[in-house]
Amino acid sequence: MSRILVAEDDPHILRLISLWLTRQGHTVVEARNGIAARELAQAEPVDVLVCDVNMPGLDGLSLIEALRSTAHVRRGVVVLTNRWDHGDLRDRLAAEGIQVLPKPFSPTRLSEVVAALLAAVSVEPGGREPGAT
Amino acid sequence: MSSSIAPTNGGRLFGDLLRGLSGPSGPESRSLGLVGPGVHPPQPPEHCLRLCLGGSVDAIPRRGCALLAGAARGEIPADALRNGRCPAGCAVAARSVRVNGEPAVLLTVNGELPGPAVAGADLLGQLDRAQELVQRVDELLAENAGFANEVLQNYEQLNLIFDLTREIAQITESRAIERLLMQRLARLLVGHGAGVCSAEGEWRAAVADESAAVAPAALEAIVAQVKAQRQVQVGTAGNAAVIAGPLARLDGRVDVACVLRAPGAAPFGAGDMLLLESLLTFGGQILSNNTLHERLRQMSLEVVRALVAAIDKKDHYTSGHSERGGFLTRLTAQELGCSPAEQQTMEWAGLLHDVGKIGVPEEILCKPGKLTPEEFEVIKQHPRMGYEILRPIASFELVLDGVLYHHEYPDGTGYPAGLRGDAIPLVARIIHVVDTFDALTSTRSYRQAYPIERALEVIRAEMGTRIDPEAAEAFFRAFERYRREQPEDFHVRFGALRGGTVEASP
Ligand SMILES: [Fe+2]
Repeated sequence: MSRILVAEDDPHILRLISLWLTRQGHTVVEARNGIAARELAQAEPVDVLVCDVNMPGLDGLSLIEALRSTAHVRRGVVVLTNRWDHGDLRDRLAAEGIQVLPKPFSPTRLSEVVAALLAAVSVEPGGREPGAT
Repeated sequence: MSSSIAPTNGGRLFGDLLRGLSGPSGPESRSLGLVGPGVHPPQPPEHCLRLCLGGSVDAIPRRGCALLAGAARGEIPADALRNGRCPAGCAVAARSVRVNGEPAVLLTVNGELPGPAVAGADLLGQLDRAQELVQRVDELLAENAGFANEVLQNYEQLNLIFDLTREIAQITESRAIERLLMQRLARLLVGHGAGVCSAEGEWRAAVADESAAVAPAALEAIVAQVKAQRQVQVGTAGNAAVIAGPLARLDGRVDVACVLRAPGAAPFGAGDMLLLESLLTFGGQILSNNTLHERLRQMSLEVVRALVAAIDKKDHYTSGHSERGGFLTRLTAQELGCSPAEQQTMEWAGLLHDVGKIGVPEEILCKPGKLTPEEFEVIKQHPRMGYEILRPIASFELVLDGVLYHHEYPDGTGYPAGLRGDAIPLVARIIHVVDTFDALTSTRSYRQAYPIERALEVIRAEMGTRIDPEAAEAFFRAFERYRREQPEDFHVRFGALRGGTVEASP
């Protein structure tokens, strides 16, 4: 079963994403800010991190930075962002292999992206680089 | 809409609720549980979990008693409703509830072995209170899921509308716009079929799922209704739900957009009607603007044709020169990756580049034999004259650039401005290559036409001096591609030229 960490400071959106992904059969761990998300991932690794960009304390990009190159996020990251800063950020993050979805997120697209991340490359336990598949 | 959620993981919430009700004050061995097909994960009484299930709810089908296993399927034994004993001998009482739309069993167990067979009145009272609370929480969860579904559906629709507005802006062909609009509408409205019934009665299908294959005849009634009332209508066609609305056209007539759901699917509602109406207003506006634009384009084209006819009439011995110039300029522009709009404008520039010859006296223009230096000076005025003729009417800078500078050479020896290299606009450099090719492959009073391959060689030899290399290379590629990919068209256009049908004759 896949474990997905959702970091989002808007409680309603957090619930929505959580409900939606749970409905897709994933186990969802909810975090209301970046610091909580970092601690949750460090306590028990997750397969996918879905995170907001603007969060108090530790923002989404710093959170990704903090969890990068560790085994805490095994399959990949989806960043939710505002439409208006979509273009720039998408290019920057896409270069690092991070998926970007504009808000309000399309539920279908979110589940597609998450499913693709889970299906695409399997990372060996211990967080080594994905094999060439 | 595919985005819908059902209350789920409610199981844990019910578990917390029941533990709270059992409370630390109650007898340790007595506990409440809730199991059933709609409870995920199942919440058997703590007592059963500890004594019979070895601590794991996954053990219910294997190690659980018949009572618990039956309850997990939503079944409740008649004698347990009031009070009874479980196979292990504990006193048990149960109530039937509904969780997540499925039958579930709420039960309480008194495990004080060898205790009284009868669950006490306090236990039954607690069970009744729990039943009420479980039912209320279930309603709230269902409500919550309903609201969440509504929001998720709106998110999905917002995204589809956003994508639609962005995609539609990139299309210029009316039918393609209409098709995209209908396809997106079908997705937004969870339709299985979609199409437009034109004011003239033509049915244009945009989405045709087999399950919603509908005879246009079945739509006649609703189409007539929409035409009469000019607003969105819902109804049925055969046994499929259908929603239809007006797409107002520029000529005041109405095309009718229809979206159908497969037989058996839910009928369209008020939200669907609102959505369809607003998107058809938007789509109709775009389509009307596009028609207007197409009409203007057509008018411009007619003006261009009239001017081209005037040039050809004047300079009859280069008949077809303008047409070939336009065609080859477009081909080269396409090769260079120019946008469709740029290609169009460049084609016009290619067609019109010699329009200034209208202002050159006929005895000079059509003089057989060599021109005197004075006469040549007059000829050299034609780019400037063309520019003057077109300036008041040509709204496209590219056309003016092409006309004014098509006799400039990269080495700076051209006219009228003596521009060099990249200072010469690309459109003018392309036209110059095309113009040179056409001149070389035409018979003049003083020489025979060159075969195609020879003309290409001459152009290649002048690259960098009188011919721009970038434009020339693109022209070579475009010309070869045309010859290779459309041999029949090529033959029609250039077959009359020597070498036109033979591959690379030296
Ligand atoms: Fe010319």
